[in-house]
Amino acid sequence: MATEYKFSEIIANPAIKERWDKVRRYFFLRESTYDMTNRCNIRCEGCYYFTGEKQGAAETKSPEAWKRLLEEEKARGITFVVLAGAEPSLVPELCAACHEVIPLGAIASNGLKPLPREIEYRIHLSVWGNDRTSLAIRKAPDMLVRQVENYQGDPRAIFVYTFTPVNIEEAREVTELLARQGLQITFNMFSAPVGYGGPLRHTAATLARTAQVMTELLAEYPETVVFSPYNILAHTRPQGLHALFSCSYPRMNQSTDIGLGRSFRQYRTDLRWDRDAACCVPDTDCDDCRHYAAGSAVVTARMYRHATDPTTFSAWLDYVDTYLAVWVKGYKKGTNLCATPVIPSSNQ
Amino acid sequence: MSNDILQNITRIAEIIINTLKLEDVTPQTFDADLDLVDEVGIDSMDLATIALVLRDEYGIRIDEDDYPKLTTVRRIAEYIHTKLTSGK
Repeated sequence: MATEYKFSEIIANPAIKERWDKVRRYFFLRESTYDMTNRCNIRCEGCYYFTGEKQGAAETKSPEAWKRLLEEEKARGITFVVLAGAEPSLVPELCAACHEVIPLGAIASNGLKPLPREIEYRIHLSVWGNDRTSLAIRKAPDMLVRQVENYQGDPRAIFVYTFTPVNIEEAREVTELLARQGLQITFNMFSAPVGYGGPLRHTAATLARTAQVMTELLAEYPETVVFSPYNILAHTRPQGLHALFSCSYPRMNQSTDIGLGRSFRQYRTDLRWDRDAACCVPDTDCDDCRHYAAGSAVVTARMYRHATDPTTFSAWLDYVDTYLAVWVKGYKKGTNLCATPVIPSSNQ
Repeated sequence: MSNDILQNITRIAEIIINTLKLEDVTPQTFDADLDLVDEVGIDSMDLATIALVLRDEYGIRIDEDDYPKLTTVRRIAEYIHTKLTSGK
């Protein structure tokens, strides 16, 4: 029979206590996400933004209108913004307006147009393989070369490598290149949009191979790869995040009492939001969702079920430490505490 | 209301005050019917932390699905009382 630990016993371990105290200082973060424009300078296969109705929403081009919205958001307790869809770098004046009101946040960008330095959000630069594959999938030449040129030496930048079935082996080449440049990378999993029937949906074999490559790269490039063994396991299981952890975003969570179900909104470019569609990556097929943004909230929220023993709690702390390092500018990730494979405890 | 619940109310208030490092309130002055979300401003991570300390204190398991029920100190005390008396 497994030993039952009290929480006080788990955090009596000095390394665990130190990490717990470090991450819990950020429990005040409450996020919402915002589509900034319906324009993009590239068109990628399987893009979540150009699926569903949100692409048809009218743009709001007035920085003052965005400031008013963000003031309202701040008043209802939002402390962290994620600016996404379609390509926020095309509307830097709107991003700057948001930054003026809520100073903590992240921007999801393809990195082809640099964002002004005064916007001090974390910047997530999407990578979908080497430049040959990017040309095929994203129809844009020299993506990585241009991204590196635009964000060399920029502490806001972190590259987000989305693993698809066709680019798994290229992750090594991309990680090596970024390591040479002193840049950081984290990992994402392609999660099919609703109705997607193309070749990028993962299979059991590609999930297993992805986990293997992630593990190798994390071991070989610990200064470059911002990830943990538990991140790998949580995002490459045959079950998606919802099946494993019960997604807590409004789209899959009816409760409005507390947590994301209460506070999270996903605004479209017309500054409206729809509770039934609200999650971090709208129009993703929830059964296939292994998205890094989803995990950052969903796995993190499941602290209680991970507080069973020191090993499992350490794995969860590694996950939260990774999430904060990926999303919060200036947060420095610590060494992973848990090398032992911890299988995510799925919903009871 | 049973004495058990009344005693628990003070202890639960003390746990919440200590866990969240609340100032200007004592276990005796903490309003047991104050809405912890709307009026104290706690979020799901705060509640999960409190749930872990309560698990240690009372030796009960608090289901994640039950968090929405635990919105006041009095409701938490009643929840714990039910758990303890039903042996769950």
